[in-house]
Amino acid sequence: MKVLDRRKMILVNGVLLILLALSVIACALLGPVRLDLARAWQNIFAANSDAEILFRARLPRVLLGVAIGGGMAACGVVLQALLSNPLACPQMLGVSGGASLGGILGLIFFPNWLLPIASGLLGEISWVPLAAFLGALLSMIFVYRFSLFHGRLHPYHLLLSGVIFNAFIAAVIMFLNSIVDFYQAQGLLFWLMGSLSTRAYLTVAFIWAYIIFGFLWLWSKGLSLNLITLGEEAAMQLGVETAALQRQIFVASSLMIGAMVSVSGMIGFVGLMVPHVMRLIVGGDHRLLLPASFLAGGIFLCWADTLARVLLAPAELPVGIVTAFFGGPFFLYLLYREGGKKPAL
Amino acid sequence: MSYRPKILAAPLFVVSLIVLAAHASFVQATSAPYPQRIVSLSPSVTETLFALGFGNRIVGVTTYCDYPAEARKLPKIGGFTNPSLEAIVGQRPDLVIGVNESSHPVKAREMERLGIKVALISVTSLNDILNSIQSIARWLGNPEAGEKLTQKIARQIDAVKKRVAPAPRRATLLAVGIKPLVAVGGKNFIDELITLAGGENIAGQAAQPWLNLPAEYVIAKAPRVIIEAGMGSEREQPAKRWQDLKSIPAVKEQRVYYYRSDKILRPGPRIGEGLEEIARLVHPECFAESQRGLNPGSGCEGSRP
Repeated sequence: MKVLDRRKMILVNGVLLILLALSVIACALLGPVRLDLARAWQNIFAANSDAEILFRARLPRVLLGVAIGGGMAACGVVLQALLSNPLACPQMLGVSGGASLGGILGLIFFPNWLLPIASGLLGEISWVPLAAFLGALLSMIFVYRFSLFHGRLHPYHLLLSGVIFNAFIAAVIMFLNSIVDFYQAQGLLFWLMGSLSTRAYLTVAFIWAYIIFGFLWLWSKGLSLNLITLGEEAAMQLGVETAALQRQIFVASSLMIGAMVSVSGMIGFVGLMVPHVMRLIVGGDHRLLLPASFLAGGIFLCWADTLARVLLAPAELPVGIVTAFFGGPFFLYLLYREGGKKPAL
Repeated sequence: MSYRPKILAAPLFVVSLIVLAAHASFVQATSAPYPQRIVSLSPSVTETLFALGFGNRIVGVTTYCDYPAEARKLPKIGGFTNPSLEAIVGQRPDLVIGVNESSHPVKAREMERLGIKVALISVTSLNDILNSIQSIARWLGNPEAGEKLTQKIARQIDAVKKRVAPAPRRATLLAVGIKPLVAVGGKNFIDELITLAGGENIAGQAAQPWLNLPAEYVIAKAPRVIIEAGMGSEREQPAKRWQDLKSIPAVKEQRVYYYRSDKILRPGPRIGEGLEEIARLVHPECFAESQRGLNPGSGCEGSRP
């Protein structure tokens, strides 16, 4: 195992961090409607449409996009390592299906319950994401139980049970969708498509707290993740407690994915593609790959959401369409270019 | 966009001739002069059939057909977008009526292959809806009923137009979904209803009939009226949902309403009633109780722009 190159670490992450900061600013300034920045700053707290566009409609949304993009990419990195499968992605773990089902049940049975935070002082949040998160937790326990093989978490079983659990949940969701009334069914489908649309800083703060905590924790396991990609046997011989590591990574990434899907629905492709792209660019050392993927995922989703708002203005596209549409060809191009030099994956 | 019964008469006549010609074949083919066993593939068609007095000829409806109450008791042939071919055939219909703006054209081809007569109506615009009411009445052998019903709707529309005529147009957002925000766009009969109600649809220029709107667009367009028509699951507290956007006049002036009604969402015979209900939200001052009996419309002349 190579010693971590600190200069490369600082250089790569520094550049990405600057790009991320610039992206956040640019994406907050870009949109389908014109924004008068001077007017927005004049009196932020008055009923000022420019200030509302900037601080209510765009900024929370951009910040949520960065958190979700980064979180999805970071989870993608560790899942691809944990399951030793290049196709692993956050949507595969079963947790996302559980979150969707929880959210759908919430939308059907208590769409308008609000939970006051600190007796309403900090505002109120909808029960729908909470139901989704509860669904994520329950499905995590369920998938975990079915992935145990001789008492320990088995990557192969985890992959299979996750995929099959999600397929089953998809059937349940489609069933629910076909028994609710027509208009409700439309609403459920829109919710399932996923969106970063939010005006609640409280929600954004919750998600950031989850993502930051989860990410730092995963990052601290970077070295062990490097070893586990050599194979379980090898990792064990090198002193990694693989069973514990697998369990911890599963729980941490499940919690992150559950929180993300609860708020923004299923936004695909970021968690699959960004880790691969970054692996091609910065290499496979997880101590560098994880933060680089986090930052790149944030940049990518931030721009994808801005395009989603602008491309068909005034209509807004589901952001998942944009991530797949622009991410897919770019990924194939990188794969093709790398293919000329050396084996890509 | 503006609708007048007299102007309508000419195109109506032409359209009805075309429709008559197109369906002359099936009218001749049936031994009974007019269809007696009808399957409706859409809630609006079911409503139209009942309103025209053909309720007793319906032998199959969708699971969404819930108006009038008698429709609920009729045999179900599946959903709106996915009716069951088997269930339809099982009812031995001599006419199936569906709408063009759905999956019905595909189903129609399958049914025609099985020898079932299918008629599709268009419901994109207000004119389409009125034309289709007349067409259905004619196919079933009672054109006078169609004439009567469309005239009734035309009168309702005219009454609303007179009421709101003196009032200035109010920028209006009609949201049919909240999370994410789905609005009524252009090329949609609901867009026409908003205009007739004295509103101006803020998403009316959009090419799509329904579109997902970002919040910033609503803020920039500054609607004076927001109506949540709740396609989806959002039922209450519309004012609360918008309260953080105080720059929007509708929020400031407390003109954020919850109005969920199939009367406007369904392109059927109740659109006239639905129109009046939206107009009362867009221009309540034009419907003030004190103005009853006075020269209609005079009520809102003094209103602020």
